[in-house]
Amino acid sequence: MENIKPKKDHSVFETELSGAVLNFQLLARIFFWLKPYRLRLVLSAILVLIASFATVLLEILISRVLVDYIIMKDTESLMPDLGMISLTQFLERETHFGDLFSVGILFFSITVIQGVASHWHRMTLTASIVKGLRDLRQDLFEHLETRPSSFYDKVPVGRLMTRVTNDVEALFEMLRGFGSLIGEFIPFFVALAIMFSASIKLTFILLTLIPVVWVVTFIFKGATREIFREVRDSVSALNQRLQESLSGIQVVQLSVRESRNFLDYSVLNKLNRRLEFRSINISTFYGAFNDSLIAIGLGMVIWFGAEEVLSDSMTIGGVILFTRFMTMLFTPVVSLGEQLNVLFRAMASGERIFQALDWDEQIKEPESPSPLPDRLLGRIEFKDLSFSYNPGVPVLSNVSFSVAAGEKLAIVGPTGSGKSTLIRLLGRFYDFSDGSIFLDGIDLNQILSKELRRRVGVVLQDFHVFSGSIYENISLGNPLVTKKKAQEAALITNAHDFITRLPQGYDTVMLERGANLSHGQRQLLAFARVLAADPEVLVLDEATASVDTETELLIEKGLENLIENRTAILIAHRLQTVRKSDRILVLNEGKVAEFGTEKELLSNRDLYHKLHRLQFQDK
Amino acid sequence: MKSLNKLIPLLRNYKGQIFLGLFAFFVARFFEICTYYLASLGIDLIADLYQGITNLSFTITELVLALIATVVLRFFVVSAARRAIRRVGIAVAHDLRQDLYRSVLAQGPTFFSAFNVGDIMTRAIQDISLVQRLVSFGFIALVIMVYAPLFGVGAMLMKSVPLTLLVVPLLPVIFVYTVKMAREMGNSSREVQNKLSQLSSHTQENLSGIRTVQAGVQEKNESDRFWKTNDGYALSFFEQARINSLMSAWLPFFASIAQLVIVLYGGFLVIEGDMSVGDLVFFFACLSMLLAPIKMAGFLVMIVQRAAVASDRIFEIIEADPEVKDNPSGETPDRISGGILIKNLNFSYPNRGALNLRDINIEVQSGEWLGVVGKVGAGKSTLLKMLTRLLRVPSESVFLDGHEIFSYPLGQLRKEVVFVMQDSFLFDEPIFSNISYDKPDRDVGDVWKAADSAKISESIAGFPKKMQTVVGERGVTLSGGQKQRTTLARGFVRDASILVLDDCFSSVDTETEEHILLQLKELRKNKTTIIVSHRVSTLRHADRIIYMEDGSVKETGSHTELINKKGSYYKLEKAQNLSADAVAELT
Repeated sequence: MENIKPKKDHSVFETELSGAVLNFQLLARIFFWLKPYRLRLVLSAILVLIASFATVLLEILISRVLVDYIIMKDTESLMPDLGMISLTQFLERETHFGDLFSVGILFFSITVIQGVASHWHRMTLTASIVKGLRDLRQDLFEHLETRPSSFYDKVPVGRLMTRVTNDVEALFEMLRGFGSLIGEFIPFFVALAIMFSASIKLTFILLTLIPVVWVVTFIFKGATREIFREVRDSVSALNQRLQESLSGIQVVQLSVRESRNFLDYSVLNKLNRRLEFRSINISTFYGAFNDSLIAIGLGMVIWFGAEEVLSDSMTIGGVILFTRFMTMLFTPVVSLGEQLNVLFRAMASGERIFQALDWDEQIKEPESPSPLPDRLLGRIEFKDLSFSYNPGVPVLSNVSFSVAAGEKLAIVGPTGSGKSTLIRLLGRFYDFSDGSIFLDGIDLNQILSKELRRRVGVVLQDFHVFSGSIYENISLGNPLVTKKKAQEAALITNAHDFITRLPQGYDTVMLERGANLSHGQRQLLAFARVLAADPEVLVLDEATASVDTETELLIEKGLENLIENRTAILIAHRLQTVRKSDRILVLNEGKVAEFGTEKELLSNRDLYHKLHRLQFQDK
Repeated sequence: MKSLNKLIPLLRNYKGQIFLGLFAFFVARFFEICTYYLASLGIDLIADLYQGITNLSFTITELVLALIATVVLRFFVVSAARRAIRRVGIAVAHDLRQDLYRSVLAQGPTFFSAFNVGDIMTRAIQDISLVQRLVSFGFIALVIMVYAPLFGVGAMLMKSVPLTLLVVPLLPVIFVYTVKMAREMGNSSREVQNKLSQLSSHTQENLSGIRTVQAGVQEKNESDRFWKTNDGYALSFFEQARINSLMSAWLPFFASIAQLVIVLYGGFLVIEGDMSVGDLVFFFACLSMLLAPIKMAGFLVMIVQRAAVASDRIFEIIEADPEVKDNPSGETPDRISGGILIKNLNFSYPNRGALNLRDINIEVQSGEWLGVVGKVGAGKSTLLKMLTRLLRVPSESVFLDGHEIFSYPLGQLRKEVVFVMQDSFLFDEPIFSNISYDKPDRDVGDVWKAADSAKISESIAGFPKKMQTVVGERGVTLSGGQKQRTTLARGFVRDASILVLDDCFSSVDTETEEHILLQLKELRKNKTTIIVSHRVSTLRHADRIIYMEDGSVKETGSHTELINKKGSYYKLEKAQNLSADAVAELT
């Protein structure tokens, strides 16, 4: 017997991840998915550089060229102009347009360059992020698709769903945020460089505002952390209350609790309102502070710029240039504070995504799988099979029995006797090592699970319907199942009638999870699907839900046709189904209690005899 | 837009705040333009000083102090304005939640079959927050749309009429373009929203059916199918980004034409000496103020569109008419004694053709014990739900103590006719609150007594926190039988004129059931009690039994009478007697 791997702790999927620290490894991992699009990213970076320079040049044209050179006639200043004055002079000389007109032409052409470059910067950046994360999402989905049942037993689907949707969305938001930060910071640095070369003193004075912004942001975050948490808590209390009232609405109404519940809810709702009021009291001030920065900077430029101009170390145009740079200087500083929140949230999302991607739980596949013959006979043998989901709680113990080729076996037993587990093991949904199952004499553990599932058709109780047409639901993408074959399968399993009555027949598109079909119809469709795949062995967990008599007859007959000419193992809940089987296996507490024909078992007057009366009494 | 009209009455409650906010925004805008005006004066002042002009009316320091003053004033005024408007948004969300909750509390089964819990929750959470966003930010955006051009153009006119006239004609062009783009942006963002929800439902659908997927070896197929959805979402997202980016590229381009006009004509005016350098700078500032609202147009269109849909969905719940109405006649007795008369009762669920109850005639004497039996779907629960008006009762068919059932106040009716339902539902609260759900201030002793009658007191006593043990998610998980007995105790604790037990012993073993019933017989001697059950052993306790089939009463009589009749009830009894010993052995 092999050692079972140490059990994994699936509860990690339920715990909250805070993502409070910057995790650069995580960022590096995300970059792996962006790599195929790196050329576009490089192009994007070049374009943003061009766009930023163009933005700065436009400001220089107005302040240095228009104001200083043309209006003030000041050509001697050492203030930087990035060659714009010479360019204007050159244009003037060559075209004989006036100076104003030459500036106009330059202004217009640089605007066009700026517009085109920044548009394509955004496009290339978005394209690479969108595609990269689409690939990440696809990889995540495909990874989840191949996790075994033992994984899905323990991890709620909702948790996984948010990883595929919301968490990847959060990464989207973060990368786009990064992108736009870069788009803001490059002009920031270009502007800063020009400012330094124009006036070191004035630039330093303006830069003192930045730590002030950070201190204010820090204080703001501190002041709001608690209140935001309280708001979140009150919102979830409110939602929980509503959810509970809705789920138990009849109890609420029968207990005449409406007005009291309304009062309770009102108290929570008012509390929430009060907390929200408090939180905006702080956040509106913070927002207003941020937009005052540019204006304060403006005041400082005038105040200190005047001295610079009077001492001849700066021109009027220089002062104007500084005022125009204020937006470029403070916008990224403010958005940095906002982007941090997004970044932290995305960190947690990234962790959750990689946690799922790194989860390597899977069904053990044989190293040298035994090939299956073209056509199986369908002989099945269970030998000393024992199994438990959780150590110490045996579900099956020492189960041994065999089913002859073409035989129909019904499995009956009380709830929790291990019936479903038995067929799940036969479909290799779980690893087992204690005991064996043989299919035509081949050990199941030596067969690739996918190969096995192609030959052993399993119909589970939930009758999952995929969105897509009826035909697609029968063929399941198998090119061998033509429309004709699908129709044949539907005819044999009695599904054809209801399908042809659907608005578009076989082309009718199914709503989410087959919401436009009744339970009985979904069952018939599941039969047609498994018949179309033509497995040598059929395993079926019969539905317990009640359907109307007419449909029940259809299902009964459909099932009968379905199991014809193949080995079938049926977990039976209906007497009719038991009657149609050759032999019956009675399971009780994970053990084979009885095994034989119905006649034999009835004459035993043992467990089957009792079950027969109890379970099937209504039928 | 019609759907947003319904919000007007709600907003009317906050008229004062809204007007205050709108006015404050006006003032803030004024201070903002003052700041830019003072900055342009500053530039002129510097130019004058530089050129050696000394007889100036104020100094740089005075000017900068004035400028800082406008910034500080704007800071306070704009904070107050935003605060006022956002408070309205929060308050409206609060009010909508109140209305929604009030409405759902009064709804009946027809409503709940049309809207499932998840759907209502989405409306209560997402849709209300969309409306809140509209009020909080939509107003602000709207204000900017009006005030910014107003102040911008006004200020420009003061400086130079001809230059203003040259710049302003560009605005309609920009406006038309913006509106067109805003609509496209709205469409593309809706498309992204749709694709995103497709992505979610695709994921959900696939993962919930993962076992079928794997059993059918469909992993590869499903991944390919997912790729289409996934890529479709990525494409729509990219398309949205493209439209947004185009918008952000074309706007500055249009703006630059206006700027070009300022450069050319404004520059000319300054050279001619008709305008100062500061004025030129001021013109540029006014232009960006003019263009600011245009940048918001797309955002505004988007939140208005989304809020309109959201508002429709919210009011669909709020305005739903409760199917069960409370119109007491005022002539009914204060206390129901327990006589029931059901006369020619026919009933079918809405939107379902076939009758669920057919010509039912039953009279139950006050104090009688009635047993009800029949197959699943025979109409037992439907019939009994009539007694608490959980369904719409047809007129002239159900009478209590001689009065039509709906002439009683609904509250009184449900207080006195106690209905214990088939499936046990417990709230995520202490056991005490669950049992004494109708009356949270009930004496603990009474609750223990009821728990005792339902044979659950021993289990409760075994929990560390006894009656204060929280059940469900946040506490102890009860077994099916324990849940059912707790639900029974919830029925027993109430002083019922009529007690209806709708098949609520299914998870309780026969021995315990027998014990509970014997006690109940004592407690409810001469009090009308109706028991639905599949078990003959249970039904035997009733004075009279009705056998239902396909929505009508097939047999009526005492246990012995029905046995002697050798009909359906007799057959049931025989089948169960045979297996009675089997049950005993199995359990």
